[in-house]
Amino acid sequence: MAVGVQIPENARILRNLLHGAQVQHDHIVHFYHLHALDWVDIVSALSADPKKTAALADNVSEAPWGGVSYYKSVQDRIKTFVDSGQLGPFANAYWGHPAYKLPPEANLMATAHYIEALRLQAKAARMHAIFGGKNPHPQSLVVGGITSVRDLSPDRIAEFLYITRETQEFIKKVYIPDLLAVASFYKDWGGIGGTSNFLAYGEFPETSAEPESLYMPRGLIVNRNVGGVKPVDQKQVTEDVTHAWYERGDAKHPYSGETKPIQENPEYRPGSGQYTWLKAPRYEDLSCEVGPLARVLVAYGKGHKDVKPLVDSTLQKLDVPVQALFSTLGRTAARGLETIAVGDRIETWMGALLANIKNGDTKTYEPWEMPDSGEGYGLNDVPRGSLGHWIRIEDGKIGKYQYVVPSTWNLGPRDAKGVLGPMEEALIGTPVADPKQPLEILRTVHSFDPCIACAVHVIDPDSNEVYKIKAL
Amino acid sequence: MGKRVVVDPISRIEGHLRVEVEISGGKVVNAWSSGQMFRGIEMILEGRDPRDAHHFVGRSCGV
Repeated sequence: MAVGVQIPENARILRNLLHGAQVQHDHIVHFYHLHALDWVDIVSALSADPKKTAALADNVSEAPWGGVSYYKSVQDRIKTFVDSGQLGPFANAYWGHPAYKLPPEANLMATAHYIEALRLQAKAARMHAIFGGKNPHPQSLVVGGITSVRDLSPDRIAEFLYITRETQEFIKKVYIPDLLAVASFYKDWGGIGGTSNFLAYGEFPETSAEPESLYMPRGLIVNRNVGGVKPVDQKQVTEDVTHAWYERGDAKHPYSGETKPIQENPEYRPGSGQYTWLKAPRYEDLSCEVGPLARVLVAYGKGHKDVKPLVDSTLQKLDVPVQALFSTLGRTAARGLETIAVGDRIETWMGALLANIKNGDTKTYEPWEMPDSGEGYGLNDVPRGSLGHWIRIEDGKIGKYQYVVPSTWNLGPRDAKGVLGPMEEALIGTPVADPKQPLEILRTVHSFDPCIACAVHVIDPDSNEVYKIKAL
Repeated sequence: MGKRVVVDPISRIEGHLRVEVEISGGKVVNAWSSGQMFRGIEMILEGRDPRDAHHFVGRSCGV
């Protein structure tokens, strides 16, 4: 945008396919591997009756694996873990906590699917590698289009389609049934962990018109008024540093934003002082939740043809009111529902790509000239939420660059007015049965799918040694 | 004042997060979220060729 280039249609479609594949992959990993153990007690699964578990699984899910011997073998594997005292991925949790409500059989079923999801996600990650070169951090995205020119071949496309369909089958036959089964035991969490304002930049442009053609629409919801979705103008985004470890200053729009860490040792002073490296992003001074729940609420409020029926039927199945969406349970459910809608839509995008290729259009890149000066921004909605990048080019170089990422929106601190960040707001009112084992806190924190570090791997070309640098 | 509980680090997430809550009457009455790591990629980018930007930022966020 800063260089005034319009990317070709195929590049737009391929970016959608990459984003869509990432939604499928990321949301499965979050539900099973980062969040499920807040609701599922692995140790309780040891006392499950494999026969009853098989019957339960047949009843609630269409998983392609099951049966008494299957569940017996999964139980044996967990027992080996527990007996060895090496809990592996199941270490560090509050097993036996009174807030765990699933019967042993449901715990065993969910644990079995945790393991199956590990296998499935390894396969799903390959979709990203087909058009992006690797996962995560795809290599094929460039200004002007996308470089995966040689991957527009029948075998690569067929492989992508095969994996996306297998993944979607898992989502519909295992992930969603598990989500509903678990949710039915935790309906009280439909009244815990909610926030007030929701921001979605939207994602998946289906023509060159943005935001009009976005499959997941752009919009702002203020004070839970889902029926009154407002338009979004990036000019209204600011970052406030009052409670963050940066030099003092007014809240600034990213074009004029600064990154000036305080020079003295940062002291942790929750309350009136500074206590975090995250700035406090605001939209029109509002603290806004971003992510699957924000996207689903905006789509729902706009009467989205695919999302609205999914939400309505889920509320009906769980027998909970619309208000239950504003909660930890709603956030976790929205993530699953979005995965169905986006995963299904991948077929449409692939259809458009195939039609273009058939008609001889294989263009994926539009050349452009580097200007001496200019400014531009990019708004996306990645799995964890709204992501914005702002660049100002001066004398052919980067004059300013700021990006405001999903977890900064969700996990940011208070602002100058003392307004809490979304996750801080969500935690207020959470019941905690045992302060020494704050399982309930983790439920709400994990429901935001926090991502505040991505590993940046730097390889020394001489020694091939890999340094790991953590970046927020 | 209620009981203070600090969860640090929060596990099963990407990164280092500290959460502190104040509990009174069995419920959270106040909360503080603290990102424990500095990003600073913006500082690295200033003065570079704009065409390099996505190689840097693409590796720090996009999920």
